[in-house]
Amino acid sequence: MTLPKGFGSGGGGGAGSADVEKMIGRRVENMTGMITASFIAAWLATFGGTAAGYFVYPWAYPTPSGHYAFIVLTIIESIGYLFCVKVMEEGTTKKSNGIIGGVLGGVTVGTIAIVMFVGK
Amino acid sequence: MAQMPALLPKEVEIQRLKKIWLVVIAMGSTAASVEVDNFVDGSLHQTSIRDSAFTPAHWWLYSHFVALPLGWGFAAIYDRKVPVLRGPNNSMNTGLKMTILGYLATMFTIGINEMWHFWFVEEIFAVPNHWMFNMGVVVAFMGALAYVVRVYARLVELGAETPGENPYVAEMYKMALEGKLYSRSIP
Repeated sequence: MTLPKGFGSGGGGGAGSADVEKMIGRRVENMTGMITASFIAAWLATFGGTAAGYFVYPWAYPTPSGHYAFIVLTIIESIGYLFCVKVMEEGTTKKSNGIIGGVLGGVTVGTIAIVMFVGK
Repeated sequence: MAQMPALLPKEVEIQRLKKIWLVVIAMGSTAASVEVDNFVDGSLHQTSIRDSAFTPAHWWLYSHFVALPLGWGFAAIYDRKVPVLRGPNNSMNTGLKMTILGYLATMFTIGINEMWHFWFVEEIFAVPNHWMFNMGVVVAFMGALAYVVRVYARLVELGAETPGENPYVAEMYKMALEGKLYSRSIP
């Protein structure tokens, strides 16, 4: 097996398990925390975007339209988050269903609260 | 092609392909969300019917399109670590090229669109300033589909994903693996 510079024993002996670990870096099934943080950040940024409509351009971008866009975007992002975590953990023994359920449940409650109480 | 599978240990390649898959899912979600821009655009123009000084600028509305060429550009940078995904003559994957160029065309048109709205006429779907916008998106989707199928087919080949049961889908994956999804001369 041909290995990049810096890997292997130098004598063409192939990759050992230490080499493989070094080449992999952080394994994708251990990225659930980062993916979750990214999803929550994206959701908050989405609220920031629609809030520009509620508070800066309320005459042209009525709050019900903003809420509609926010709900649709939240659903799209949630599906993406679910896919990310499930695909990264498939084929491994790791299961993060509790984290996924908690985060998606929290986002659902937050979305409903925003739609009910935020805007003009 | 025959030599490529030996370049990386299988486990390393699967992990790298899955990291690319993360970007693909994020870009898919973003592409789905920019569709909401069109609804918002419609909302804007149904409220203030004609373009006027009170019509909000469109660039902020479509500004998150910029995440698409940048995100796919990031995929192109990381894609170098998976040799089997390289394009002809060790260049960037053809699907990635199409995707990035398509979204760059779209970004360019967002600027043109802003000038059009400011100087010329009001919002009509078929006006020329929208042509390159929509064609850019279509080209980008075509390229992204080719790349996504290529990545997925490789994951199937490595045993990390289940092959499609539909014979037509299976044939598409087979052609993608042979570099013949779109053309027999351009991999």
